Formats: sequence, structure tokens, C-alpha cells
Amino acid sequence: MKFVDEFRDAELGRAVAMEILSLVEPGRHYKLMEVCGGHTHSIYKYGIDDLLPANVELVHGPGCPVCVIPMGRVDDGIAIAHTDGVIFTCFGDMMRVPGSDGSLLDAKAAGADIRMVYSPLDALRIAKQNPDREVVFFAIGFETTAPSTALTLKRARAEGVPNFSVMCSHVTIVPPLRALLESPDLRLDGFIGPGHVSTVVGARPFQFIPTDYRKPVVIAGFEPLDILQAIEMILRQLAAGRCEVENQYKRVVPWEGNLRALEVMAEVFELRPHFEWRGLGFISHSGLKLSDAYADLDAEVRFSVPGVRVADPKACQCGEVLKGVIKPWECKVFGTACTPERPIGTCMVSSEGACAAYYNFGRFAREREVV
Amino acid sequence: MSVGGDSRGSHHCITCGDDGVPMTVVRVDLDRGLALCADEDGARASVETALVAPVAPGDMLLVHAGTALTRLGSAA
Repeated sequence: MKFVDEFRDAELGRAVAMEILSLVEPGRHYKLMEVCGGHTHSIYKYGIDDLLPANVELVHGPGCPVCVIPMGRVDDGIAIAHTDGVIFTCFGDMMRVPGSDGSLLDAKAAGADIRMVYSPLDALRIAKQNPDREVVFFAIGFETTAPSTALTLKRARAEGVPNFSVMCSHVTIVPPLRALLESPDLRLDGFIGPGHVSTVVGARPFQFIPTDYRKPVVIAGFEPLDILQAIEMILRQLAAGRCEVENQYKRVVPWEGNLRALEVMAEVFELRPHFEWRGLGFISHSGLKLSDAYADLDAEVRFSVPGVRVADPKACQCGEVLKGVIKPWECKVFGTACTPERPIGTCMVSSEGACAAYYNFGRFAREREVV
Repeated sequence: MSVGGDSRGSHHCITCGDDGVPMTVVRVDLDRGLALCADEDGARASVETALVAPVAPGDMLLVHAGTALTRLGSAA
């Protein structure tokens, strides 16, 4: 397929890997964070870390939209789903995320009308087909899915669908990155920037990373050659003593982002003062809620939710995995009590989660020789 | 189609809406601001096109959660 096959060329991959090898200084350890869960998935799927010198370490970041949802939000969703007359809709991955007393899938088994949708538009369609029921969409995700929710809310308003509302759990990418950079746990040398988030927000919001923290950022695509080239570009910046935002994914990401998407998001959403992230705690101005103009379509206004903060299970170390402090397999319950079939933590739920990606693709090749 | 995996040979997970899917426009519904699009396996879906309009059959779009975020191959 165009835009795909040419970025999976093994020979070119080997050539970029050799280039990477020539750029690393022996004795220096390089710690690079891939921010986006899609990158984590590709890295394990294609074995990209096995092509890298042993002193180039990839650390998995907080960019999986499912993994960062705290248990209390799941409980809130389940409470709405159990309300009489409600059809609760969400993305499939979200259904398996454990709350304090089971997941949305468990709630569905217990009788709640919970349906998997592929987009908020599907949820709106269900609302139009069921005018006597209240249809709630559990909106999650970064700036990639937020425009979709915003456009659907505008459409619901324009088409007059009074029985549709949204439980907004959208988050933004910059505040957690800043929190990670401020964290004393983690010393990073550079970032593989999120590709599709950047189609919306553009490259400019990441400029604070080189300006304030002197670290390079390279926005990258999701094919194996994209990721390898991004790593090569970061190492090239480090070798030259440069730090700047570069765009490896120019075929998709315009430097200024999608202005229409930013406008519609600004109209429909506003920043919450703080939002709780799984494992990262509360981060200021990192979550979105519906703006006053759309408050009548806000499920948290329309229904009562417990809104109770629930601590993560003690055995689960998703927080440390999300911050890149430990590798998935270093978690005490990885692959034993916590598996994709029976996840304890969110990182094992989504295929973009570091634990699930590692469990599915990478666990057989942990040991490798030092190059 | 698989759930939670990628037995489709593609790199995306169909259960997670937050995943970019390259799709080709098949037919355009101008009145509703939607386009019928097909992915690489021929699976079709209605896609919101407000952020990239106007679109025409044959255009390739990057679709997230049912909304086209950008055109493929046209970014500067």
C-alpha cells in the first residue's frame, strides 16, 4: 500500500541501523523516550530495539490513551452505564480497563447496556436510532481523538439530538511531558515525538523541550523506517551538540498542525484545572472538559457520578512503566497475574500499552548481545 | 477483523479509536460533511471530513476515530 510498503524496506532499515551505530559514542548511554503508544507498539512489533546498539535505550512514554485513565474515571463511567435508560458507548479497549470493582465489560455482563463503537459518530448514530434512551459516549484520547469528539458534539447540536452526551476524559500531550521532564526519577536524552497528535497540534508545542530542557525532539511516523530514522536524527543532533524540534513525518505532519481542528477544539472544550493520570497523579491543565457553551451535552452534568479518586492496585506498577522508570517485565505481576487476557493494569489492556506490546511481541528476545 | 490484535497484517488496533488509519475516499456526501472511505483491506466507514474538506473520490486521508485529520502526502 502506498505510504506503507516503502517504509518497511528491510535493506534500508539495515542501512539506517548502521548509520545509528556510527553515531553513538562508545561508553555513553542514550535514553530516548518514545512518547506515543503507537510507537511502542511498532517498536516491539518490528523488533526495532534489536536493531539498535545496546547503549541506545528506548523508554516508553505516557502516550497510550487507555493506559493513562485512572480507576476512578472507569468507576464514574460504570456508574453512568448502570443508570436506567442509558446506552453507554466507548472504544473497545476501554471496556477492559479495570475499575475498582470490575471493568465496563463486567458491567455489561451484569446487565448494563454498554456498546463498543469505533468513533463518536457511531455513538451519535445510536442516539438518533434510540430517541427514547440517553446515549453517552466515553471520550478518551489525546489531541488525535479530541477533534472527532468536538465535531460530533457540534453535529449533535446542529442536528438536534437531545439524548446524546459525552463523558469527556480527553487529555493533552504537553503537560505530562513537562511533568516527566521535571521528574527526578528520569534522565532522558531525547524524545521521539508523537506523529498523529502532531497532525493536530503541529510541531510548535514541543519547542519547550529544546528551549527549556535542552533535549532534542524528532516527530516520527509509525512505520519501522520512520522510527529508525527518527532515532538517527536524534543521535545526529546529540552528536553535533544541537537540540531542536525536527519533523521526520513531513508526509503527514504540517509544522503548524491542523488549524481547523484546533479551532473546533477551542470552541467545544476548555482545560480542566487538573486531571488525574494513571500513575502520574494530578497534572495541572492536562485534561479537557466541555466548555460552558456545550455544558448541556456534558454527561457529568447530566448524570451523577461518584467522582471518587481510587488508588491503583498495590501490585500494579503501571505508573512506573508510564514514566519509563521501569521496563514492563520488571513489574512484579507482568506476565503472571497480569496478562492481556486478565489485565490488572491499564498498560496490559491496550495494544498500544507498553506491557501488552512487550507481552505480545518482545518478551522472547530480552537478552541480547552488546554491540 | 480481530479484536485487540493485528492479525489483519496492518499495524493498527481496531478496538482503539486513537489509532491512525489510512483510508481512501470512495464517495462524498457534501450535504452531511461526510465521506464514505475504504481502508487498505476494503473495509468501509463513514468519515467526518470537516477538518480536511473539500475531498474528492480517490483522496487519501489519515483517519482517527472516524474523523479525517489530514490528507496523506500533502503536508508541507
